[in-house]
Amino acid sequence: MSRTKMVLAGEGGQGVQSVAKILVEAGYEAGKQVLYIPNFGVEQRGGVSIAFCQIADEKIGEPRFAKGDIVIMLSDRAIDRCETYVDENSTVVYDTSVCTKKPTCKCKKIIGVDANKIANEKLSARVFNIIVLGVLLAATNVLKLDDIKNAMELALGKKFAVKPELRELNHKALEMGMELVCQSAV
Amino acid sequence: MVNKLIKEDTKMFLTGNEVLAYAANAAEAEFMYGYPITPQNEIMHTWCKLLPKMDAGFLQTEDEISAGFSTIGGILAGKRAFTATAGPGNVIMQDAQSMAEMMRIPFVCAVMQRGGPSTATVIYAQQETRLTCFGGNGEGFRIVYSTAGHQDLYDYMIKAFNTAWTYKFPTYVLADGYQGKMREPVMLYDPASRGINMVPVTPYLLGEGEIGKDRKSVHLRNTYNMEEELMEVLEGYQADYDKMAESVAESYEYMTDDAEILVIAHGIVARSAMTAIDELRAKGIKAGLFRPITIRPLDVKSMRSAVSKAKQVLFTESANGQLAQMCLEKLYGLTTPYSTLFKMGVGVTGDDIVNKVEEMSKQPATV
Repeated sequence: MSRTKMVLAGEGGQGVQSVAKILVEAGYEAGKQVLYIPNFGVEQRGGVSIAFCQIADEKIGEPRFAKGDIVIMLSDRAIDRCETYVDENSTVVYDTSVCTKKPTCKCKKIIGVDANKIANEKLSARVFNIIVLGVLLAATNVLKLDDIKNAMELALGKKFAVKPELRELNHKALEMGMELVCQSAV
Repeated sequence: MVNKLIKEDTKMFLTGNEVLAYAANAAEAEFMYGYPITPQNEIMHTWCKLLPKMDAGFLQTEDEISAGFSTIGGILAGKRAFTATAGPGNVIMQDAQSMAEMMRIPFVCAVMQRGGPSTATVIYAQQETRLTCFGGNGEGFRIVYSTAGHQDLYDYMIKAFNTAWTYKFPTYVLADGYQGKMREPVMLYDPASRGINMVPVTPYLLGEGEIGKDRKSVHLRNTYNMEEELMEVLEGYQADYDKMAESVAESYEYMTDDAEILVIAHGIVARSAMTAIDELRAKGIKAGLFRPITIRPLDVKSMRSAVSKAKQVLFTESANGQLAQMCLEKLYGLTTPYSTLFKMGVGVTGDDIVNKVEEMSKQPATV
């Protein structure tokens, strides 16, 4: 049975849960089995925010899993909290422009991306999380780009209708995120 | 009469809290009373969002003490009413819940467990198992369904109303923060399409007509003057409870026929256990699951039969043995050895259970 287990972790306010929602919505619309658990503390902002997502072909049993196939860490505190979800089969992604350190856990592969820097310099700080979504999409290959774009329409369609340039910005961010993974593979 | 929103089978992708609000509407619930506490807030948020379409009511009270008693008030007036709470809210609602036991009120409450003691975490736990079954200053005349995902939440929330109104004991849907907050696909349906008819509700008080002429007077008592007087009433309740238990107790078994190691788990942990059992079976280890669906009353007969067939038992839960304690009492006399995997306020994963069962297959439990 094919099941992909994903952990997205960052600071509260970085948009981790928003991205996770788009991701699982895309999976659901694509006819896959999906399960998403948001995990956060009592803070409105700050504190580590974690999303546990699973996309599978068959019905999903356990809601919480021990180790992720891909674990994305978007801050130093996220690295501290989430190394526990990593084993030798995990791919780890971290943001080199936010984190001041590199994850030291044993894993299959580690990918450093500067999503935050790219968002600030080339696009907009607001699409940082969408770049991360692009990274996740390219690194896992469980969903198609169109699936994600459809889910983005469902989540953000009303905003896009008012400002069509936002759609373009988000699509660009998604594609740039995907490219970051392709570059790291070279 | 409320307006039911789900008229035909509808597949949706929802959080568990949203599912519960839809289920209450499908069960023709007319009123929700509540006070916000994470991780159950979205039950009332969703209920309120749906209100204009449902023709139902909602009252946000000043705290959970009031939410509990208001729910009782609504029921006395003949409304199919319910509430929902979690953690410290569940603690302070116990006074009203005890009163519902004493006055045989069909009180329905969804509990989304969070970490404890006290404020602890807003995330998840199974640490309100004992509280929900036996809280308050009484004997636990309650019925508690422990759910394992969104389809269960929908099915058992509907069932809870019928159980409560049939037997007149407070009835609970016991879930947790994971189930409340997580999103997964679920099939919503009109209960009638599954042959489920909602038990009619009748007012305890304020009925139509004149007392003594058109209807009998009602004397609801929460206070007794004599010790013996109280015991006589409670013995009647206990007899009703025992009789009801035979038809209400429910459990689910997964691969228990030839299971050598039997995992006993409830709620969402039972789902992790099923993932683990598939993995263990693939490795040639004969594991099975006994999942109590009603954790109060327990399906004692089925549980004893499953346990006596197994060579070892593993109790696992996201608490320090709250379910295990309740089960062990009912397993008195059996000699099957057992081991435990308790994670206080933390999710139990399939891997956790696989590792533990593998350990048990190499070095059997001796307790």
